[in-house]
Amino acid sequence: MFRRILIANRGEIALRIIRTCREMGVEPVAVYSDVDRKSLHVRMAHSAVALGGSTPRESYLDAAKVIAAAKASGAEAIHPGYGFLSERAYFARAVVEAGLVWIGPPADAIETMGDKIIARRTMQAAGVPVVPGLVDPIEDVERAVADAERIGFPIMLKASAGGGGKGIRIVRNAKDLPGAFRTASGEAQAAFGDGRMYIERYLDEPRHIEVQLLFDKHGNGVHYGERECSIQRRHQKLIEEAPSVVIDDALRVRIGEIAVRAGAAVGYQNAGTVEFLYSKGEVFFLEMNTRLQVEHPVTEMVYGVDLVREQLRVAAGEKLGYTQAEVLARKRGWSMEVRINAEDPFNGFVPSTGVIGNLRAPGGPWVRLDAALYRGMEVSLNYDPMLAKLIVWGPDRTAAIERMKRALAELNVGGVRTSAPAALTVLEDERFVRGDFDTHFLNTVDLAAPRGGEDDLVAASAAIYRHLLARRRALVTGASTRAAWSARSRARHSAYPPHVPATSTPSAEKGLPR
Amino acid sequence: MKYFVTVNGRAREVDLVERLGRIEVSVDGRKLDLSYEEVDNLGQVALIEGGRSWGVSIEGDEHTVTCSIAGRLYAVEIEDERERAAHAAEREASKGGGVVKSIMPGVVVKLLVKEGDVVEKGQALLVLEAMKMQNEIGAPGPGVVKALHVKEKEAVSSGAKLVTLAAPPA
Repeated sequence: MFRRILIANRGEIALRIIRTCREMGVEPVAVYSDVDRKSLHVRMAHSAVALGGSTPRESYLDAAKVIAAAKASGAEAIHPGYGFLSERAYFARAVVEAGLVWIGPPADAIETMGDKIIARRTMQAAGVPVVPGLVDPIEDVERAVADAERIGFPIMLKASAGGGGKGIRIVRNAKDLPGAFRTASGEAQAAFGDGRMYIERYLDEPRHIEVQLLFDKHGNGVHYGERECSIQRRHQKLIEEAPSVVIDDALRVRIGEIAVRAGAAVGYQNAGTVEFLYSKGEVFFLEMNTRLQVEHPVTEMVYGVDLVREQLRVAAGEKLGYTQAEVLARKRGWSMEVRINAEDPFNGFVPSTGVIGNLRAPGGPWVRLDAALYRGMEVSLNYDPMLAKLIVWGPDRTAAIERMKRALAELNVGGVRTSAPAALTVLEDERFVRGDFDTHFLNTVDLAAPRGGEDDLVAASAAIYRHLLARRRALVTGASTRAAWSARSRARHSAYPPHVPATSTPSAEKGLPR
Repeated sequence: MKYFVTVNGRAREVDLVERLGRIEVSVDGRKLDLSYEEVDNLGQVALIEGGRSWGVSIEGDEHTVTCSIAGRLYAVEIEDERERAAHAAEREASKGGGVVKSIMPGVVVKLLVKEGDVVEKGQALLVLEAMKMQNEIGAPGPGVVKALHVKEKEAVSSGAKLVTLAAPPA
């Protein structure tokens, strides 16, 4: 096993990997940008290397800096987490060329699966079912209109180099196509430097089902069953669960076999996920994510496995050491995950920024909070809006839902708006409880509708809050006439910061006297 | 002290009296048996009302408050009598048009209208990129573009003025 590894990531996933490292006696090395100096992943690591810069491009996306940090820290391997450089084949290659171990799949497999067209062809050749659509991506609007008519509406536009829901649009009629094509293509151009779009048929009542895979370096591969990720908005998942209500034991074996075949076709190693569209009993290959997924904890809860530990083991050259039947025999109960994003569900899910001032974490039996949150953390637009993942386990689906509702009621993340209340609304929806939903489900729920119930109590509390706030302010002598440094200092240290600008950064304040 | 408190869009009148350090409060004339204890000065409040207990979280400033009870979020606006009168006058003055403000920090990618354009309700005015997602910002109602306050490629903060609309031509 490795003595020391570098984690080329930040936030909750860096901390998640650090935790497993600690349990295995492996020394985790963190990297950090200027703005992340105080982050929890830095504080919990064995050692930490500064990358400099504040934007992802200057820090976590700079492959040369990350590899140099690994060499300097004496790490033997690099774990990329998800996002950032995790699915960049050139990075995987550079890591190996630098004499380090890459805790992930071979660069060739990333490359094949990262190109949607080549992936599709490879999968067809391997006998894996795919969704009907165009084979080649296109650039111009006129061709898009003509091709869409041929495939038939509704259609889906996907960025050729896309990921994470960016550059994706669903178009229901020809009239809306040119506008949708232009914004999606522009988004893809901005995010990936490639504006080409891929067009395919949009399936009815589709459910997003994905299968967790794990391969060692000796040709052994198993699947860890499915995850259901149909509760998504603009292709960003909100609630995930394992197993899925539509997958019975026989279908689990069948899609598991298809997924393992898909992985084997590209010579896969380490952990990966094959995404399927499930529509009325049929499954179609969508894509393969050649990394650990955000929602991997629900699989861990149901199968009693630490997937990061397994990743480290197989990357170090160990054999899996168990069979497919042994994996499936460990399946137990039901797990759910809610993503806590810094966004405002009552305002069209726009990003929310601020300083986390008021934090209450849930606990109790079978509740897991994967987060790197701390009081005083600044939520900016520099990084992904996901703040935390709340995961629960229960002996059955009903118990898991009730436990999640209970945990969400305990959770409080103050200072920013979060998606948590929207998740609660979904968990209380009868159709969700019955398991009767597809990927369009969130479009049919009014997540912006206020669901109060204690409005009088809130009105009274808010008035008292203001009353006490005004009294506290009045005690600060001459607040409005003090010099700027005093007001600034109070903004930083008082319990209720008066109007801390959401966009302020430490660097912008450096030049001012304190 | 009288406050006008709007909770999730519905207005309520709250009367608050402090007597010998004890706060008495009534909502729409109904007196509440309320015990309000701040836990940590950061926004955690231990609330007991008529024997029922609540772990409440409150944050915000004098005018806009966010309150969380049992995972539910309540958006609250508070005005006292003087502020209420001032806000009512302000609303009357801007009738029929108004300023479209940015609801999030971002970068203006593309302007889709110019001054003098007649726009319909919901018509896209500009494209704003935030968190790498492009969002079309639509007109809140029909009108005429009176002024553009931003340029393409310009970074805007949350609450920044984007476009001023005048009342639509009759």
